[in-house]
Amino acid sequence: MPMYQVKPVSGDMEVDLPTCMYKLPSFHDLGALRDIVINANPAQPPLTLLVLHSLLCQRYRVLSTVHVHSSVTDVPPQLLSCLGPRHADSYARHMFQLGFTLIWKDVPKVQMKFSVQNMCPIEGEANVARFLFKLLAPYPSDPAAATLVDSWLDTAFFQLAEGSAKERAAVLRALNSALGRNPWLSGPEFSLADVACYCCVLQTGSAASTPANVQRWIKSCDNLGHFGPAKRLLQ
Amino acid sequence: MTKEAVQGATEEEQQAQSKKALKKQQKEAEKAAKKAEKQAKLDFAKDRYGVSAMVQSQQKLDRELVRVQDLTPEKADQLIWLRARVHTSRAKGKQCFLVLRQQQFNVQALVAVGDRASKQMVKFAANITKESIIDVEASVRKVEQKIESCSQQDVELHVERIFVISQAEPRLPLQLEDAVRPDGEGEEEGRATVNQDTKLDNRVIDLRTTTSQAIFRLQSGVCQLFRDTLTQKGFVEIQTPKIISAASEGGANVFTVSYFKTSAYLAQSPQLYKQMCICADFDKVFCVGPVFRAEDSNTHRHLTEFVGLDIEMAFNYHYHEVIDSITDTMVQIFKGLRDNFQTEIQTVNKQFPSEPFKFLEPTLRLEYTEGVAMLREAGVEMGDEDDLSTPNEKLLGRLVKEKYDTDFYVLDKYPLAVRPFYTMPDPNNAKYSNSYDMFMRGEEILSGAQRIHDAQLLTERATHHQIDLEKIKSYIDSFRFGAPPHGGGGIGLERVCMLYLGLHNVRQTSMFPRDPKRLTP
Repeated sequence: MPMYQVKPVSGDMEVDLPTCMYKLPSFHDLGALRDIVINANPAQPPLTLLVLHSLLCQRYRVLSTVHVHSSVTDVPPQLLSCLGPRHADSYARHMFQLGFTLIWKDVPKVQMKFSVQNMCPIEGEANVARFLFKLLAPYPSDPAAATLVDSWLDTAFFQLAEGSAKERAAVLRALNSALGRNPWLSGPEFSLADVACYCCVLQTGSAASTPANVQRWIKSCDNLGHFGPAKRLLQ
Repeated sequence: MTKEAVQGATEEEQQAQSKKALKKQQKEAEKAAKKAEKQAKLDFAKDRYGVSAMVQSQQKLDRELVRVQDLTPEKADQLIWLRARVHTSRAKGKQCFLVLRQQQFNVQALVAVGDRASKQMVKFAANITKESIIDVEASVRKVEQKIESCSQQDVELHVERIFVISQAEPRLPLQLEDAVRPDGEGEEEGRATVNQDTKLDNRVIDLRTTTSQAIFRLQSGVCQLFRDTLTQKGFVEIQTPKIISAASEGGANVFTVSYFKTSAYLAQSPQLYKQMCICADFDKVFCVGPVFRAEDSNTHRHLTEFVGLDIEMAFNYHYHEVIDSITDTMVQIFKGLRDNFQTEIQTVNKQFPSEPFKFLEPTLRLEYTEGVAMLREAGVEMGDEDDLSTPNEKLLGRLVKEKYDTDFYVLDKYPLAVRPFYTMPDPNNAKYSNSYDMFMRGEEILSGAQRIHDAQLLTERATHHQIDLEKIKSYIDSFRFGAPPHGGGGIGLERVCMLYLGLHNVRQTSMFPRDPKRLTP
């Protein structure tokens, strides 16, 4: 016999609980191309966004273009070809669902513009990465797991990419211990956390001298095959 | 006394009086002459100034004249000759300050009473009318404090000889300082600015201002970059006839001229002849020449005569090869202006402030449907096949600027219904065409397309547009004997310069503009 019974409060009312912060547009109706514009400084190429670009290309029909803005004069050739060869159908924009337009420009921070009427620009590589990843897969529905991903993202972009040698060493130790418990940073699944940390580790230039679990994880990431564009750029 | 006697007496009186007056006059004249002689004797510098005899090539002087822009501290203490205009002259006690001007450059000059210049010489210098052309011999002197108001800030000239070569009338129809003053400044400080019509009526003087000099030097640069870029790409420059037998763009906006016993038209574009050159195997051509449009539009961007820069080229498989060529040419022009004409751009911005011109390389190309989607998202209601109105073009330009931060882009795949009869239709969708427009700061600068190179299809499309086939017989004939697929487009030199510099009226970039209300100068 139950200890007490709770009477139902709202009867038969269906409650629609919100599950997402904002709705993303559907790319599945062919018509006009929906173009994502990313402005980045050639002095600091956003590697995570290049990786996310190749992931997007596997999921959607993406028209990728690279431009140089008149505010910069000399851009090395590898930055001009960083999105890969031109698609054979690129003369017909309407045949693509998504546009990925990368503009090398004199900007202090990476900036993304999408639906100018409905969204303000998104600034910072971490934030743009969050937006692009959501086009591929939803964030983990478990708030704790989602927060973990975000936390690794911030760690990657603030302490690993911009921190002192001491901070970087601390991050590598934290990575090592997290990867001792799980194959990927946020648990059993590959996530945006892995993309961001991999790129930032690579950029510090000390990939070869990282602790054992991190080394193993780097190899696993390489095996997935998405990190080619980032590695090519760093050569 | 008798009448005669009275008359005689009066005459005598009169004679006596006039004799007296004469004597008085004579005495005064003598006095003045003596004074002048005395002064002339005292004027030790009288050979070092004056109004020269008109230069009729009396002698071939081998004298080097230094340019004002070359007057730098390096020339300090040198004695040089130069010829310039008097921009201003101001006497102050025993000194006269002049500003001498040559195109965009000016320098301060000083005539001071001393062992080289007399009082009379200083007075002469102060009275030289503005805009007069003078020759001066002067020594270049370094100055301690920069002369902010002149282009040559580190030196001034100490004049030893000054001669007027060509005198300007004292009353000028407009003052150059007023013509160069920014509009806002004029209103604020109550100083005069010159309105556009006055400037255009007295164009010879208005063109002397630093702003005008800068604008037309930049325009010359645009023309040169256009020619050089295309020549490097293997294009051949051609000249096409301007007196033609049939209106190329449509009957309404064409000037008719009497041609012996019949009449002819002034060409609205080199379109037909560019294409005939392609059919004549010139492969890639361009031409620079006048275009005549009898459009009774009194707007900020229409002229009845303007300079057309036109391109036409054969392509291999896709008309985007043509778009790529044209946009690359435009980008090279923008880069050339950005990298080599900053002085001119800054000079124009002083009077007409504007945002610097931004562009992307390669050029942004959007499809018409994308443009319509962007406009609809911004609240505009329009049909899929509607043409873009001027306000919509401007709005689309702003939306593109906001998203891509570029002032130059291409809109591709226009609806077939709004394009000329010779435009090639889209192979996959009959509603659209292989045609494009290019925009600078939201205003159209080029309309182009793949042209129909098949005589039969051309005849069908002309009939559909209800065009008299007899009138375009020779045009259609040019495609009957093997014609390569080709396309092109044309820009207006004046409009491109106006939009690049961010100016607001095409008359500012046309040296002697022609519009429905103006035929002179």
